Amino acid sequence: MHLQAHLPKVVITGLGAVSPYGVGVGALKKGLYEGLNCIHRVEELEKLDLIKTKVAATVKEIDYSSIPRQRRRSMSRMAVYAYYAAQEALAQAGYTQAPKGLGFFMGSTLNSISVWMDVCNQCLGGHAELVKTSSFLQIMNHSPQAVVGQALKIDGPSFSGAAACATGLLNIGLAAGAIQSGLASQVLCGGTEEYHPMFSACFDIMQATSHNFNDRPELSCRPFDAERTGLVCSEGCGLLFLEREDVALARGAQILGEVVSFASNTETQNIANPSAQTMQDCMQCALEKAGLTPADIDFVNAHATATLAGDAAESAAVNQVFGPSVKVNSFKGHLGHTMGAAGALELIACLQMMQDGIVLPTKNLQTPAQDCAPLNYVRQKENFKIHTLLKNSFAIGGNNCSLIVRR
Amino acid sequence: MNITKEEIIRQTNEALKKEFELSDAQLTPQANLKDDIGLDSLDAVDMVVVLEQKFHINIRQGYDLRSIVTLQNLYDFIEKIAQESAQKNQ
Repeated sequence: MHLQAHLPKVVITGLGAVSPYGVGVGALKKGLYEGLNCIHRVEELEKLDLIKTKVAATVKEIDYSSIPRQRRRSMSRMAVYAYYAAQEALAQAGYTQAPKGLGFFMGSTLNSISVWMDVCNQCLGGHAELVKTSSFLQIMNHSPQAVVGQALKIDGPSFSGAAACATGLLNIGLAAGAIQSGLASQVLCGGTEEYHPMFSACFDIMQATSHNFNDRPELSCRPFDAERTGLVCSEGCGLLFLEREDVALARGAQILGEVVSFASNTETQNIANPSAQTMQDCMQCALEKAGLTPADIDFVNAHATATLAGDAAESAAVNQVFGPSVKVNSFKGHLGHTMGAAGALELIACLQMMQDGIVLPTKNLQTPAQDCAPLNYVRQKENFKIHTLLKNSFAIGGNNCSLIVRR
Repeated sequence: MNITKEEIIRQTNEALKKEFELSDAQLTPQANLKDDIGLDSLDAVDMVVVLEQKFHINIRQGYDLRSIVTLQNLYDFIEKIAQESAQKNQ
């Protein structure tokens, strides 16, 4: 008997998204399905001569005046994203307000860099008297979860796990575990992030950014491609409403998918360069926990950020576990790397494909790289019924996550 | 700081309207800052920040601000600080 067999089933009944394509799952779906470009040049990066990358993807300005002032004052930009994503997920789950005891698991890679910089500049510039009370509330590590939880009166257990690029998937996986353990019967979960040019600068210093398509931003993020040089930083928020299956059935909620299994492990060889073996172990652990074989997985949504080392290692790991025939894609070519939001936003995108019976290609994958293992890379939108898929998030810092979802 | 009562009222209202998104109708002299205008403890601290900037004064140290309950109390307090400041500068 597999490890998950005696545990209650966890299902997904609501989705919420804010992405560079706009506010809402509908905007995300339209952007992905139509292969729209959301990556653009960044003015601040133009001034940084030593920084090679000049592109990013950002959420267009949101009119957030509808959020009550005393709630809004404590919200950084990434918390505003989370507020709208949370409202959308709650609404799809069938709630006009948060149900009693709802848990809230959401994190980010960093807190708001722009607010932190304002506070530091004011204090170090001799003007501490200008700092307002809400500044600290916007830069706490768990700030978005705390302030959005307050604003929407989410009163169950709360948690704000941070694991860089794996943050979103980590919070979803731990939320599923929290439901199975009885800590909560319903949890809103995922990740959020706001872009700042320092994100691009720091990854550029680590030689991990896209810099060879600065003049054609729409082509700049190229997972698994021969001409890839690195990632494109991005932002957004993805949230999923998870609940125990019997709770969802009892209230007649529409079930969008089942979280079958979650596995996580840690790379110990190198903090920035992932090893294929650790990734492979993570995926295999997810399969074993679910009592599934590789043949049960129809589709793999890769983390694949378009870095040289990351894509090569992940493709090798996927090949080792599933062989060369499993269908694989990455959404980073469309969205860029939404960091803490990536796992959740990309899982939401997978659920759209699952629902519609299609698979989407990896945008900008023109020539599969020789250093990437042979896989069935999806090259164009095609009809294909996904029954069970595996989603990866592999973070800088070594946190690996794999999550299996089925219809 | 030489400033008239009317100017204190005008500038105070202007600062509060902008910071706390208030309407003119809310800003009556008798309005209770907490119960009528809806300012909470964090707002009270931020109110000090914006008024210090507006009137170029330092009121966070050496004053008991707890006695300021209504908008009129606030106008009177700023007028007192303004007079003290003017006397010091004479």
